[in-house]
Amino acid sequence: MRRFFILTVMFLLLAGNAFAIDGRAIMEKSEAAFYYPGRDFKARMVMKLVSAGGQERLRELTMLRKNYGHPGGPQKYFIYFFRPADVKDMTFMVYKYPDRDSDRWLYVPAINMVRRIAAQDKRSSFVGSDFSYEDVSGRNVGDDNHVLLREEKLGGRDCYLVKSTPKKTDVEYGWKLSWIDKASFLPLKEEYHDRRGEIYKVFTADEIKTVKGFPTITKRTMKNIQSGHRTEVAFEKADYNIGVPDSLFSERFLKQPPKRWIE
Amino acid sequence: MGKNKIRRTLVEFSVRRPKLVLLLVGAVTLLFMTQLPRMKTDTDPKNMLPATSGVRVWNGKVEKTFGLYEDTIVLGITNGKGVLNEGTLGRIKRITDGVLTLKGVAARDVSSFTTTDNVTVDGQTLKVGPLMTDVPKDSAGMGALRRDLFENPLFLNRIISGDGKATAIYIPLEKGANGKEIADRIREIVKREGGGGDSYYIAGDPVARDTFGAEMFKLMGVFSPIAGMVMFAVAFWMFRSFFLSFAIMVPAMVIIIWSMGLVIGLGYPIHIMSSMGPVFLMAIATDSIHIFNEFYFRYKEKKDRRAAILETMDAVAVPLIYTDVTTAVGFGSLTLANIIPVRVFGLGVGFGTIALLLLSFTLVPAILTFAGEERLERAALKEDAEAGRASGLLRRLAALGVHRPKTVAAAGLVLFVIAAIGTSKIIVNNNLIEWFKYHSAIRTADRVLNKSLGGTSPGYIVAMANDDDFIKTPEAMNYLEGLQHYLERKLPVVGKTASVADYVKRINRVLHNDNPAFDAIPGNKDTIGQYLFLFGMSAKPADLDNMVDYPFRRANIWVQLKTWDAQAMRDVIRAVGQYKKAHPIAMEFKPAGIAYFNLVWNDEVLWDMLKGFVTALVVVFIILAFNFRSFKWALIGYVPLLFTILVIYGVVGFTGKDFDMPISVLSTLSLGMAVDFAIHFVSRFKRRLFALKAGEDGAPGKEMIADSLLWTAARPGKGIMRNAVLFAAAFSVMLFAPLTPYVTVGAFIVGMMMLSSLLTIIYLPALITLLSGWLFEGGLSG
Repeated sequence: MRRFFILTVMFLLLAGNAFAIDGRAIMEKSEAAFYYPGRDFKARMVMKLVSAGGQERLRELTMLRKNYGHPGGPQKYFIYFFRPADVKDMTFMVYKYPDRDSDRWLYVPAINMVRRIAAQDKRSSFVGSDFSYEDVSGRNVGDDNHVLLREEKLGGRDCYLVKSTPKKTDVEYGWKLSWIDKASFLPLKEEYHDRRGEIYKVFTADEIKTVKGFPTITKRTMKNIQSGHRTEVAFEKADYNIGVPDSLFSERFLKQPPKRWIE
Repeated sequence: MGKNKIRRTLVEFSVRRPKLVLLLVGAVTLLFMTQLPRMKTDTDPKNMLPATSGVRVWNGKVEKTFGLYEDTIVLGITNGKGVLNEGTLGRIKRITDGVLTLKGVAARDVSSFTTTDNVTVDGQTLKVGPLMTDVPKDSAGMGALRRDLFENPLFLNRIISGDGKATAIYIPLEKGANGKEIADRIREIVKREGGGGDSYYIAGDPVARDTFGAEMFKLMGVFSPIAGMVMFAVAFWMFRSFFLSFAIMVPAMVIIIWSMGLVIGLGYPIHIMSSMGPVFLMAIATDSIHIFNEFYFRYKEKKDRRAAILETMDAVAVPLIYTDVTTAVGFGSLTLANIIPVRVFGLGVGFGTIALLLLSFTLVPAILTFAGEERLERAALKEDAEAGRASGLLRRLAALGVHRPKTVAAAGLVLFVIAAIGTSKIIVNNNLIEWFKYHSAIRTADRVLNKSLGGTSPGYIVAMANDDDFIKTPEAMNYLEGLQHYLERKLPVVGKTASVADYVKRINRVLHNDNPAFDAIPGNKDTIGQYLFLFGMSAKPADLDNMVDYPFRRANIWVQLKTWDAQAMRDVIRAVGQYKKAHPIAMEFKPAGIAYFNLVWNDEVLWDMLKGFVTALVVVFIILAFNFRSFKWALIGYVPLLFTILVIYGVVGFTGKDFDMPISVLSTLSLGMAVDFAIHFVSRFKRRLFALKAGEDGAPGKEMIADSLLWTAARPGKGIMRNAVLFAAAFSVMLFAPLTPYVTVGAFIVGMMMLSSLLTIIYLPALITLLSGWLFEGGLSG
């Protein structure tokens, strides 16, 4: 009887863990909340690139996104640049697939030319900012091993602290720590550590607003701790489920984007 | 005279209470010694100029504006059969991975085959990514890599040599990282790979600098004691007395501790200059040999130790004071320098010299009272100015001057003219890498890399426009391109240049299906802006940041130089000026970078030293005139000094050795040392003549002058020779140092001591004989 009791307690203890959410599940929910809310999404954003010396560069753009399937499934992105002034009318389009490299196209208005861009490096910088392409459109949850380290409060909010270690060494960092808000499943903070274990980049969600019922990070910063460079992104307008048509994601509209979708 | 009284009181007190004097000196020495453990070293040549100096502030600003690193290590990899083979590429990949994990390495901006981004075109598709992700497994893959490397002007001569036999990994360092430590780690990584016919070379300013610092520290610890031992041995050989050799070493050790204690206590770090301080002080302390030299002669005559001490001190006091004061002036003039380490060095050695003067009248007489009478007797027997072998030789040398003054003077004149011709050939230059020996790993690495790749010494030319976005105009872009071409064509020392114009041309070509016709600057500002934006989407942010500032108002042209000669950057600056004159544009061009710093520093040192040299020249002359109470005699005393320096400069000029920092510093302080022997000679000669004349009026007879000259050469002359040999012996140790500045210092001092002592013994008698009419016009004091 005593033995049975001990076994029961042990089972309950182990099961206690099983009932709780694991690292991978958290990150899947986070992916859905962060990169896939709504059927589609549109935001006008200003990116401020700030050098260690305090110099600033601005990028202003409209980003449209449309989901094709469940969270983690295919997506299409359309980006139109307003600033800097000399790149006005430049557009950029991404077809994202869950199981292979994305397709990207760029339109260069000065020479009226669309070029496909083979992205061998998902980790390279997005328009010179501290965000990588992956940071903008999301990284495959299956590419990393996720471990829930603990639960802790961050800025008064209850968070899961998850450590994600890439399965392959084709990325520039060693592992990432994410503080995932228990309520919204949005990442409030991410720390990238390089392979030496030194902290390298830090992402922070600086402002969260609820738009059409979707908690949305409307201000965010990615700071490169080692170089001192940082990028601040602010959403000036954000909206969900506005009925972005499939036809927008085409070479024709890359060259001549309809005003109503980009303004 | 009050001064004399103080001096005599000091000596008498020391002879009466020798133990108390020893105790006092010991206590003060202990006090200074407590400071020694606080020693810090500083080997960064940048700290030669204060942090507030214009060039450092400007360089700091440029580094910040363009996100540049102060320090970059270059790891060169060569293979006689070409580096594009599976084995070598695999090693490059693994070495790069290893380097990226090193602490202190700015991993994000390491530039290697696997970390450098490349933009290529394949049909309608732009490919963006690392130049090499995995080692190509087949000949097609290898061929593609070869094409990528050689067709991209951004890579050629930077990460691949023209013949394909060399590549380099550029490893920027975080601020404050130690270049030598990281270089050592890199060596370990490289060693693990080894083999396959690859050779590895580690170069770059931080390695040189920090290796130099480590070696310098070792040298200070090894060479100072060895110099001390050599001095001790030579002194023993001269006097055959342990007591005496020991007595010569004690003041040397004491002033070294005092001086180092003072410098460290004041909070100054030890730089390369001050690390030589102990050897200098040891050599300067040989001055006390004049006391021992005279003491032994006196003791033989008097047979009374105490009386001999007092008489000796009377006889040598004046020359001792003046020689130490002139030496102190030589070093003290260095404190006028702008170069901080030079100033600290001057302070330390100047202070030590004055301390030596004090000890000469206290510690040395006190020590002499401990000499055993019997031992003195034995040693003194050998000190016979008439019969001694050394004295005989000196007498014969002086006789050359006394009996054939015209021949000696004429020979001197010829030597003078030759030396002057040599001096006119002097090249002012400074080269940090050449501070290492030719076959040292660092210098070899530098040579190999400079031969095959674009150059290890980085300089920048910053183009500054008046308006934002001006750099994006075709006008500015074409100008940058033209200026780069001009520099590369005109100056052989410029191995490679790079600017934002290269990026624009590259993108233009790639967007147009790699058509070489589009390897040019587009004619429209918006196009350029969009290309740069595209470049920013395809490369690391740093790549663009290194070349243009954020408002596109300033552009940075990278100029890789194949030599660390300060002169090279001066040529670049001049060429930029000429180009601008021929092609006016609304932009300013300012140099920056390490190469520019080295140039400014070089000029600053030289100007400083010139200032110090002239100051010392004037002050030493005034002191001489004051000492001899005569301008004429001051001029005579000046001759061996000027002659010595001129001959050394002549040798420097003829051998083509650069007139660099060590030499310019030495010139200044040598003034105070090279004049010493003349002071001793002239003082003692006049004293002797005065004694011989015993109060008679009028000019001394020719015979009397000749006699006195010969006596002076034989007796105080022996002290001079002993001093010179001992001094030179201490410094000869430096000739075996592994770093060239130390060798230079050693050779310079040995040469100076031998020359100035010989000139004093031979040339002064000739001059005094020839000019006796003029010199003694107004009697003895004339």
